Amino acid sequence: MAKSLLIISRQSPWSGPGAREALDIVLAGGAFDLPIGLLFLDDGVLQLAAGQNAKALQQKDLSANLQALPMFGVEELFYCADSASQRGLANLSLDEAQPLAAEHITALIDRYDQVITL
Amino acid sequence: MPTLHVLSHSPFGDERLTSCLRLLGAADALLLCGDATYALQAGTAPFEALNTRRVKLFVLAEDAEARAVQVPDWAEAVDYPAFVDLSIHHDKVNTWL
Amino acid sequence: MNALTVGARAIELDKDGFLVDLDDWSAEVASALAAVENIELTPEHWEVLELLRSFYTEFQLSPATRPLIKYTALKLGPDKGNSLHLNRLFKGTPAKLAAKLAGLPKPTNCL
Repeated sequence: MAKSLLIISRQSPWSGPGAREALDIVLAGGAFDLPIGLLFLDDGVLQLAAGQNAKALQQKDLSANLQALPMFGVEELFYCADSASQRGLANLSLDEAQPLAAEHITALIDRYDQVITL
Repeated sequence: MPTLHVLSHSPFGDERLTSCLRLLGAADALLLCGDATYALQAGTAPFEALNTRRVKLFVLAEDAEARAVQVPDWAEAVDYPAFVDLSIHHDKVNTWL
Repeated sequence: MNALTVGARAIELDKDGFLVDLDDWSAEVASALAAVENIELTPEHWEVLELLRSFYTEFQLSPATRPLIKYTALKLGPDKGNSLHLNRLFKGTPAKLAAKLAGLPKPTNCL
């Protein structure tokens, strides 16, 4: 049985490579059928804002890519509820992502064999 | 399933320490290295947060010493071999990159 | 330059035979790319190519094998969304070859 892996993505979507790198790890893991989860934390929740426009910056469309996660077999999608409310996020673009309070995030980290925070 | 959380970024103008303390489980430990050791600068907000919370706290001795950061008696200064031991004796290590 | 001649046009390809400019794609180009691979496109091929193009429009990336199978099963049913069917149509490497014929970028997560 492969070890389970939790990726914690905490970088904003357009300011650097962190958000993209976290997603690439998750997509690669999903393609290999690894038990993998993804948690958006801190500025990472900004990746989930509805109505983003990658074309404005001539970049790859991270929001669209995120929608593919369930197709890649990644069903364990979470975001930190506090981070989202601090940043005034009401409409999120990824319906499958579930909000978690801090104590549930502690339990989430406990459940996985390995954790990578980017 | 205790986790060793490792921080290496300065706590000033960065959310890692705050978020880490929010998520830290009762059995978890925190290790400060690199610029994260500045969190122990006496009289600062990060120092007070750690002093109030009193989690299981380790500090990489050489990084604190190089930065003239005093390690308080409620934190434990460790060297690299001890860092390795800590990594082994926790179920997993979560490095906040 | 690696190129494919379709009618009077030379279409630029990368070293692996994928379109350099995704806007060059057309049904004729797909047939010509398939001919290079010794494949004659049947309606069963076309429905997968169209599916891939809609996957790309929706997600802005080319699927690896597993997501391709899953998406195909979702849209065309389990009779077609399985590795046997897709492998048969696309010589055992459906994610890579079908993406090529559909005019998508090479799947990056298809290691």
